[in-house]
Amino acid sequence: MMPVKAFSEEWASAFKDEVNRSSTYKSAAKGWKWTVGLVVEAEPDKHFPESRGVVMDLFDGEARDIKVGPAADAQKCDFVITAPYSRWKEVATKQLDATKGMLQGKLKLKGDLPTIVRYTKASQEMTECTTRVPVAWPDEN
Amino acid sequence: MARRKLERDPQAELVAYSDQEPSAFASMLGGLIEANIRSNPAKLEDFDRLVARVGIFVTDIEEGVTLDFKGGRLVVHNGLEATRTITIRAEAETVMSLSNLRIGPLGMPIYFDEVGRGVALKLLKGRLKIDGLIPNVMTVNAVTRVFSVT
Repeated sequence: MMPVKAFSEEWASAFKDEVNRSSTYKSAAKGWKWTVGLVVEAEPDKHFPESRGVVMDLFDGEARDIKVGPAADAQKCDFVITAPYSRWKEVATKQLDATKGMLQGKLKLKGDLPTIVRYTKASQEMTECTTRVPVAWPDEN
Repeated sequence: MARRKLERDPQAELVAYSDQEPSAFASMLGGLIEANIRSNPAKLEDFDRLVARVGIFVTDIEEGVTLDFKGGRLVVHNGLEATRTITIRAEAETVMSLSNLRIGPLGMPIYFDEVGRGVALKLLKGRLKIDGLIPNVMTVNAVTRVFSVT
């Protein structure tokens, strides 16, 4: 698979396919019915000049839709995870574990904590799915 | 553990933070416990009875918190404070799985399902250490119930 531009519509589509290919995610996320927004904060010095939002419509073990748009759209989701571009890159390249990142405050989480903790395995698998999408990072070109 | 019944204002502060800037870990644990006890009367009863200082140290991020349960009120401190009743040391993933332990009959954590077996195995292998476990088994069980999201 050809690398896709980071946090682009092509990336969202490839990410959605990875999530829906994962049997681990399908079983771990049974019963999940909330939207999740990822806010990717701008880092102009890393050639990521504008913040973007990833809106994930996840339902009962399936990614029904994953879209990239304005950060404000992602902020309206039931759960919102916010971090600068380079932190998300660390997550997607397995340099930062998402659970540890949240405990360290490197990824900021907004939403009902007991619910997200109940689905720790699903969120870990979702992170795994991001690592399987080949990405062309803007600060590496 | 001291036992007492509290008459409480539903808006009363249940969880406080001793540090002006609570760490992300402290905020997360405090927030998790507060959400649990506000949504589950059985957990609130445990919380009202619980008097213990519980340290939790996450070995792979080298961060700790102290949960000072004061019988109906919790004060969360950044870092490990002195004179703790029990101290739990484990990796981040294990700490999260502790909160996914299911609670069974008589309020005992269930160690025979997938999550429980994983936790028990880590305890046996020394990847989960609980200092003060033997003399405080009931306290550990009460903390687990308050901490559990299931």
